[in-house]
Amino acid sequence: MASALTVLRRLYLSIYNWLVFIGWFQVLFLALKALKESGHEHVYNAVEKPLLLAQSAAVMEILHGLIGLVRSPVSSTLPQIGSRLYLTWGILWSFPEIIRYSFFGMKEAFGFAPSWHLWLRYSTFLVLYPTGISSEVGLIYFALPYIKASEKYCFRMPNKWNFSFDYFYAAILALGIYVPGSPHLYHYMLGQRKRALSKSKKE
Amino acid sequence: MKVTLVSRSGREFIKGGLELNDSATVADLQEAIHKRTKKFYPSRQRLTLPVPSGSRERPVILNYKKSLKDYCDGNENTLTIVFKDLGPQVSYRTLFFFEYLGPLILYPVFYYFPVYKYFGYEEKRVIHPVQTYALYYWCFHYFKRIMETFFIHRFSHATSPLSNVFRNCAYYWTFGSYIAYYVNHPLYTPVSDLQMKIGFGFGIVCQLANFYCHIILKNLRSPDGSGGYQIPRGFLFNIVTCANYTTEIYQWLGFNIATQTVAGYVFLVVATSIMTNWALAKHRRLKKMEGRSTPEDGLFFLHSCRTDR
Repeated sequence: MASALTVLRRLYLSIYNWLVFIGWFQVLFLALKALKESGHEHVYNAVEKPLLLAQSAAVMEILHGLIGLVRSPVSSTLPQIGSRLYLTWGILWSFPEIIRYSFFGMKEAFGFAPSWHLWLRYSTFLVLYPTGISSEVGLIYFALPYIKASEKYCFRMPNKWNFSFDYFYAAILALGIYVPGSPHLYHYMLGQRKRALSKSKKE
Repeated sequence: MKVTLVSRSGREFIKGGLELNDSATVADLQEAIHKRTKKFYPSRQRLTLPVPSGSRERPVILNYKKSLKDYCDGNENTLTIVFKDLGPQVSYRTLFFFEYLGPLILYPVFYYFPVYKYFGYEEKRVIHPVQTYALYYWCFHYFKRIMETFFIHRFSHATSPLSNVFRNCAYYWTFGSYIAYYVNHPLYTPVSDLQMKIGFGFGIVCQLANFYCHIILKNLRSPDGSGGYQIPRGFLFNIVTCANYTTEIYQWLGFNIATQTVAGYVFLVVATSIMTNWALAKHRRLKKMEGRSTPEDGLFFLHSCRTDR
């Protein structure tokens, strides 16, 4: 009984990871294509659909951690996914995502991943995290005046449940979270890198 | 006897070890370590018996009251202890005081001062009776907590890491401000008079019950905090293991029924999940003490139903 569940789990995780890999690959491909053919203003339109799909699928990862399907702690996946969900920007994130998902896809489907793959997974973040995070923060910052003017996603008082939501202030709060959040995540990845790469050396 | 102290990585923590009386207690050992290292006062020390490598068992933590001989495995002359620094510690009293001080002070700020001016609202506003009662209820609640911290609760030897002060204060102070903002808002919509009375009435009853639970828990220990963990009996403890958490949760429910804000209910959900975790852990711990093997069933609202009587 237990082994049937294990097989099912591996099958599910294989399919999930390869699917999301394809999603991010699509994002990168379409982004570069639009960039080359039409210029940077058209990139978002080109990637919007696969990007939203791939990014939202990442919510599943929080669930996977919560129900114990994978070992990643929720406390690090939640802010990681949360930040990407907040802002979807394709190119920089598609690189590490392509690497990461194909890595997991390999492990789940074939039981192993080559050492260069492992190295890529735990090294590309060194550059891509700072650049990716800076692009997120920059984009939120530039979008602020538009958010305020458009009043999008705002829920006002008075109402029966004495509740309100202001997208503008939520955006500012999100920017604030980046301040402690980014060093914490980067530090965590550095630790993971040390563990993963030293473990593979030992084997 | 000679005590060898190692860190968790295996390195010798105190060169040459420590020499102690054969009849020495763990507390004596802690004092000796403190004397040698100056920085590591006893509540910072986590002393455990070494666990064989590869074993997944949890290490045995030394009890400060026991004598070192009790932990010797037969060889009466040497003992190896693993040391871990728990970091700067504060007493629970200190921790609780600062946690509760925030909500006690911050909430009235939203009630009494023209805070909403800075959010773009006009200064003039109508104050509904429920908002005033909510202020009294809230402040009474946190005043009660502070009083209990100093006069009722009997803390065991335990302390808490200093970092918890920041974490816990962030939790209480942020939620306190978040709720205070909405309940005292100029555009606040009150519920019906009946609903308000039911909410506050129920909440007060639960707070009184909660106070009585704390009295029962207090009487399990002596004034210096010794007595360890015992199974509380009587009153609601005959039904649930952690009746103090149960009454606390229902007390917040009463507040929310009366004030009806999303912020308040969010706080209720988070607080309930935290206390549920604690209740399950305590229930497990107490069951292990008694040696019972029946599985407990956490009826979520009642916090780990008692199966033993």
